[in-house]
Amino acid sequence: MDLDREKLGELYGKVGVGNQTSLGIMGNNRDISVGEIFMIYSKRDDHERVFFFRVLDLENYLRQVDDISRVASTLMVEGDAYLSGIERNMLLSVGGRMLGFAEKDKKGEWTFKAPRRMPDHLASVYRPMPGLSDESVREMLECQTDGEIVVGDLQVGEDTLDVPVRIPCKYLPMHVGIFGSTGSGKSNLMMVLIKSMIDTNLDAARNPNRKSTRVSAFCIDPHDEFAKGVDNIGIQNIVEDMSDKMRSEVIGEFYYLTTHRSATVREIGRYAREIRILWSEIQPRDLYSIMEFSPQMSSFIDAQYNGGSNEDWIATIIDMDESSDDSQGTLRAVKRRLRFLERSPIFIREGSSILEDIYCAMETGRILVVNTSLMGDQEQFLLTTVVTRTLSDMRRALKSSGNLGDFERQGEMRLPRSFFNRVKERARAFYSKGGGRDSAEVRDPRSLPVIQVTVEEAPTILNPELMRGQSVFKDISRQGRKFNIGLLVVSQQVSVLDNVILSQMNTEINLRLGNEREIKACIDNASVNISGFESEFRVMARGEAILTASYRELPLPVRIPFFNDIYEKDKHRYKDAKPKKTEEHII
Amino acid sequence: MLEKILAEKFRNTLKLVFSDINNQQDRRDEAEFVKDEARIREKLLARIHAFPSDTVLSEDFLVAAVDGSGTESLVTLDDIRVHLLSTSTIVLNTDTQRESLFSMVDRATVESEIGEQPHIDVHWHSSVRNDAREKMAESLAEIYPLKDMVSLILPFFCDYTGGKISSITDISDTEFAPFGSRLQVMRSLISRTQTLTNAAVHEELRKVSEYAAARRLLESDLCPKYLLLDGAMSIFMHFVRHYPSMPSGFMLRDLCSLARRKEVILCAVSKNHTIPFAHRIASVAKEELGEGAKWFCHLPSKEDPGGGLHIIEDRAYIPPILAVPYLYSFSRDNRPSRIDFDRVWWSENIFVDGDPQATRENELALFRELEFMSRDARWYGYPVALALAHENCKLSFEDLRLAKEIARDVRLELGFDDRKTESLRTDYNL
Repeated sequence: MDLDREKLGELYGKVGVGNQTSLGIMGNNRDISVGEIFMIYSKRDDHERVFFFRVLDLENYLRQVDDISRVASTLMVEGDAYLSGIERNMLLSVGGRMLGFAEKDKKGEWTFKAPRRMPDHLASVYRPMPGLSDESVREMLECQTDGEIVVGDLQVGEDTLDVPVRIPCKYLPMHVGIFGSTGSGKSNLMMVLIKSMIDTNLDAARNPNRKSTRVSAFCIDPHDEFAKGVDNIGIQNIVEDMSDKMRSEVIGEFYYLTTHRSATVREIGRYAREIRILWSEIQPRDLYSIMEFSPQMSSFIDAQYNGGSNEDWIATIIDMDESSDDSQGTLRAVKRRLRFLERSPIFIREGSSILEDIYCAMETGRILVVNTSLMGDQEQFLLTTVVTRTLSDMRRALKSSGNLGDFERQGEMRLPRSFFNRVKERARAFYSKGGGRDSAEVRDPRSLPVIQVTVEEAPTILNPELMRGQSVFKDISRQGRKFNIGLLVVSQQVSVLDNVILSQMNTEINLRLGNEREIKACIDNASVNISGFESEFRVMARGEAILTASYRELPLPVRIPFFNDIYEKDKHRYKDAKPKKTEEHII
Repeated sequence: MLEKILAEKFRNTLKLVFSDINNQQDRRDEAEFVKDEARIREKLLARIHAFPSDTVLSEDFLVAAVDGSGTESLVTLDDIRVHLLSTSTIVLNTDTQRESLFSMVDRATVESEIGEQPHIDVHWHSSVRNDAREKMAESLAEIYPLKDMVSLILPFFCDYTGGKISSITDISDTEFAPFGSRLQVMRSLISRTQTLTNAAVHEELRKVSEYAAARRLLESDLCPKYLLLDGAMSIFMHFVRHYPSMPSGFMLRDLCSLARRKEVILCAVSKNHTIPFAHRIASVAKEELGEGAKWFCHLPSKEDPGGGLHIIEDRAYIPPILAVPYLYSFSRDNRPSRIDFDRVWWSENIFVDGDPQATRENELALFRELEFMSRDARWYGYPVALALAHENCKLSFEDLRLAKEIARDVRLELGFDDRKTESLRTDYNL
């Protein structure tokens, strides 16, 4: 292989003690920080490998000094003491974890493997340097960092390399978790992810022949900051930068959903729709997913839903005369639970619903930013649930069908009839492999856009109590990948989330966490072994993350860029490229 | 054994021993010390006026030090021992002007002048009586860089006779005439043959290795102001012939002579001094000069003004022949150490006949510099160059284990018999 070692970075030290899991390195007295990644060049039995090592502990080491405290106290007490020629004996003893190793396979391509080997004796340790090591690291870690959705740049200590860390779209349906305390940079991360999804769709639109996957996302924005930005630059800027044609292809008519369109600033308002969901589009299990009902209440509701009222079950129950029923207590309790719907401006008895438009947006690879800042918690959770369940039921109906005729029958069985009737023609167009006849074959859901649904403040609905019942999210977490629908679970806490959700999550973006309990839970839940990273979690700064994924061996430290910076860097991409003037070649 | 050590009887035995020491030695020393105390307090003790820590010397200078280590049993083949010897020479620059105190002179410069550092050497020695002396002489001649025997022995006789012997022909008119021819053969300079135990042989080889390193330094163009040796400047004399009983004695005087010619201040520092009642001198210093004072105390000999101290009157080798010892303390936390200077150099450069005040001024200037070079926080109070030399040359248990392993490997590689080369006691786990 003959690797150019100079491109690995600055020669930093030598491997001392350790095993295949953890190593002790003796290195120069440089300004190393916890979290830095070193590369160890090793050649054993003619196998050239580059091991990746993550710094977890640092200790000053003075060569020829057994008792450093004694020296320090002498310097303190004896004011005239000095240390002769100590600079060359000042070393750093660096402890940390082996992350794995890169080696070239028989085809000459880099592969990355879990740490099941050990670097050679006294192997040289290199410290990656921005500007020097980017290319070699990018090549070696390609299989660990590739994908479409950019999360950030590979962080090596306090610096970053020009090595973008991405998540492949195909793994989005295997669910993504974003964990971080207040102020850890979750909102900025969400904006970065949204931008990256838009970029992915933009590329797909510009290169229709490439058969790129498009990504749809239903992004809950609890603080109404994604569109206009945390710092005056947001998704709206991207939208405005696009040409009408590109905007129409990538963004569509609207991207911003809000409770009160009239309260939206004019620029954003042009791409806004009001969130309105008909009571008839809500199914009992949507409510079971967000609040607790006693068995009697569930039976009562199910009886109404299945016993004729069907999709009008909410209106029927609300209109019921309390004195005319024998089960007055249960009715009153159910009514109390449903009362928020009566008061809600977004869940309406009659009128025009946005659900159809949401569905169509999600099936055409679009990003929706949902301003929930003026919603109550229950409204927000119910909205997420209804959208998730509707999208999932539509794809489930598709997955259960061989042709469009089957699909229609399945759809009528699974979805509220009035909603399905409104969307079925468009759904047939989305799902047909060709032609509109009932006998036309349907597409595999995995060839459709990946749908990512954000679940904000996840513990409220993804807790073990609600997940024990008929939660919509339990099904999605287990089966979503079949339908190409994934959850993007955003939470300040990991410890309170239900195990079903956690065990089905295959990508975690772990930001700074609030306390030791959450750090422990996060480490326990990570898709790859990051035990020993506790000290690193404690020193993580805003916007720094550790990305773990079950489909990757390497836990990746990532610095999430500031949205404004990457927007400034990329904004030229959103303009339509001017057609190049073709030169005339005269022979 | 432990039950014996823990028993009351053992304690009682120790009590008897300590009481005996107290009754005989300490009591006598105490009586002698009382006679010296006033002189020590008033004339011999002095406080060092230390350089401030941010001092900038008008002329920075070099300080060198040599130390050695080794083992007499790298390999044991019946009655043959293979000795492993290591030496290290360190050269530091006071470097006050660059504010990088006592920075090491770069290794390449030092090695180009005096060879690879640290230096490692191997010699073998047989215990057969005549072979022992022959082999040892051969090794010493090989180790010490000065090969001309006349040049080697003359400095001693010259210094010892106060310059009366300045050439080999001068010896014929002296008490040393009967030994004239013997003095020109290394083998004959080993006159303590009856005590050539393995330990004594090793001690001599090691000492000569250090002297050899010191000589190489003195011959070099490095020109340090100070050259520090580890140990005392003692010379063990033949009681009848009145010259050194081992070649190392001649070599030491050769070093002193060369150092004088090169204007290098040669000093020998010993932590393990044998100066009686040093703790009492330290107590007097504390009373007289105050807690924490840095001090030195001249230990005069019979030929010095005021004569020798009563306390060392009957002590062999204190003061050492042709040397001037001082007791000193540069650190309140440590016990005092001893430093010896070449008497000839001292007489020419420190001692001012009839002017004790001028002598004291010279002493103060000397110790001021010695103290300045002994402030490294790792070995506070001990000359940093010597400490570094010690660190560089020391052979740890692990180093020795590996060296022994390699020695065995080499024998196998050479196809020699696979005799075990460790000490025989290892066969029985002793």
